[in-house]
Amino acid sequence: MLLLQVLINGLLLGGLYGIMALGMSLIWGVMNIVNVAHGALIMLGAYLAFWMFHLWGLDPFLSLPLTIAALFVYGYCLQRWVLNLVVRAQLFLTLLITFGVEVVMINVARLLWSSDLRQVTPAYAAANFEIGQLTIPWVRLWVFATTLVLSVVFLVVLEHTRLGRAIRATSEELRAARLTGIPVAHIYAVTFGLGAALAGAAGGLWGMLFPITPMMGGSLTLKSFVVAVLGGLGTMMGAIVGGLALGLTESFAGTYLGPTYPNAISFGLLVLILIFRPTGILGRRT
Amino acid sequence: MGARRWLTPVAALGALAVLGTAPGLVSPFILQFIINLFMLAVLAESWNIIGGFTGYASFGNVAFFGIGAYTMGILMTKAGLPLWAALPAAGLVPMVFAAVVGLPILRLKGHYFAIATLGVAETMREIVYNVEITGAGTGLVMPIARTPALFFYLMLATLVAVTLVNVWLSRSRFGYGLVAIREDEDAAAAMGIDTARYKTIAFAISAAFAGLTGGVFAYWITFIDPDAVFRVIVTIQMIIMAVFGGAGTVVGPLLGALVLASLSEVLSTQLVALAELFNGLIVILVVLFMPKGLLEVLRAGRGSFRAMARNLREYRV
Repeated sequence: MLLLQVLINGLLLGGLYGIMALGMSLIWGVMNIVNVAHGALIMLGAYLAFWMFHLWGLDPFLSLPLTIAALFVYGYCLQRWVLNLVVRAQLFLTLLITFGVEVVMINVARLLWSSDLRQVTPAYAAANFEIGQLTIPWVRLWVFATTLVLSVVFLVVLEHTRLGRAIRATSEELRAARLTGIPVAHIYAVTFGLGAALAGAAGGLWGMLFPITPMMGGSLTLKSFVVAVLGGLGTMMGAIVGGLALGLTESFAGTYLGPTYPNAISFGLLVLILIFRPTGILGRRT
Repeated sequence: MGARRWLTPVAALGALAVLGTAPGLVSPFILQFIINLFMLAVLAESWNIIGGFTGYASFGNVAFFGIGAYTMGILMTKAGLPLWAALPAAGLVPMVFAAVVGLPILRLKGHYFAIATLGVAETMREIVYNVEITGAGTGLVMPIARTPALFFYLMLATLVAVTLVNVWLSRSRFGYGLVAIREDEDAAAAMGIDTARYKTIAFAISAAFAGLTGGVFAYWITFIDPDAVFRVIVTIQMIIMAVFGGAGTVVGPLLGALVLASLSEVLSTQLVALAELFNGLIVILVVLFMPKGLLEVLRAGRGSFRAMARNLREYRV
């Protein structure tokens, strides 16, 4: 296959990994929670998009704002009334509780929606266009564009709004933030809500490219984690760059090493990065 | 003191003698349940070695269980070895694997270690899915075993062995070294503990028992495939049983396994998804109400509820 084609395939997929990791990195960076339920949130977003498409015929791109809003509310409530109770405990306990949340979400989804493979198939799902020898599927291009827009909006909110400043202040120093009158519990919940919203957006778009099942989240949690670490934890640009890097790695590995090991490659990459460069590509030495 | 010192071992031996007669007395259904209970108890106790005593929360111990199961499977079906020759290998291979993988990843801390181990387990599953000798995605069919009583005694023996190792850890120099690493690794190193060696040995012992159990499990259920023996939920079960009872104690993981396996058995007669859902809920409730385990709450006696309320308030914002 043409080198350029492999490159483009990788980049287009990388955008999705980017917004997944952005949500993961935000929650991790601000609250020091590694959200193992991240993949389950993506799964929930995917199912919402699927049902809105299946029952109401709503296009996944049009239903995306609804999916995002629903996941924000869900994430807000989860943090406000469950995770906030343990947020200052040891890392192991916060990790474990999000594991519990993941298991609950996956099995509720299994009970409600069964384990069947499902896919969102709008009429234009198979359409593509060609430039020279390059084939570019429209859906992937639009998904990529959407992820870029979402990333930019998110970064602007975080950098240039009052809310964003409150989130960053809370992440820097919990007690000082509280002393300046920031409602910390609320800000934590909003932060988790935003992370969940990004996961939901990724899920809403995912269903157009790949099949969805209740169990789809496990490897996506790991990939989000890989990307967040790859880019450098706590740097939001890092998540996006890391996402593109993982997309490219998978695309090249899939093409030149065979299609059987995409996950093994990303996890192998993770272990290597953790050992040799724990601060990530864009991260600072601490 | 003199009498009490002997009381526990004598009582334990007595209980074992009674337990040993069980296969002849109970119905096949109950026997299956007991074997399963033993298996979960071994896994919880084996996780306890690295996660409880050493404080390295491994989220990938199912990898060792899976490797043990496949070692057993390959040796018995492809090499035609008998049980007694294959079983030691089911412990040895994961042990060596853990030592090799452990050297680099035990340098990681906290979240990084947890996720790296999760990555190791997922990667193993994928590799097993893709290579020929494991039967790839279709799995391996094991020789049919003679009698459930055999598995009962094998699991029981493994359980006794792993419990004795935990007892040893709770009162030996090596065990104190592990606890020192858990409490403050830098201080432990400063006191002259070779932390890398201690952690790697603990990880390897933990893996050996998980692998042995995997080996017995493979022969017991007679058919293995990657999804059956590399399931993340198995790791979660080990962790939650250990934490539920009290991680870093000897009795805690046993208690956790007994309580949770019984509850989940009742539920899975209804629906498997329901039993897993219940597991997830337990994880959440345990972290919220008794992060130090059931033993700690029970010790508070009449103040149990107050202890749980205190736990709930302790880490909130």
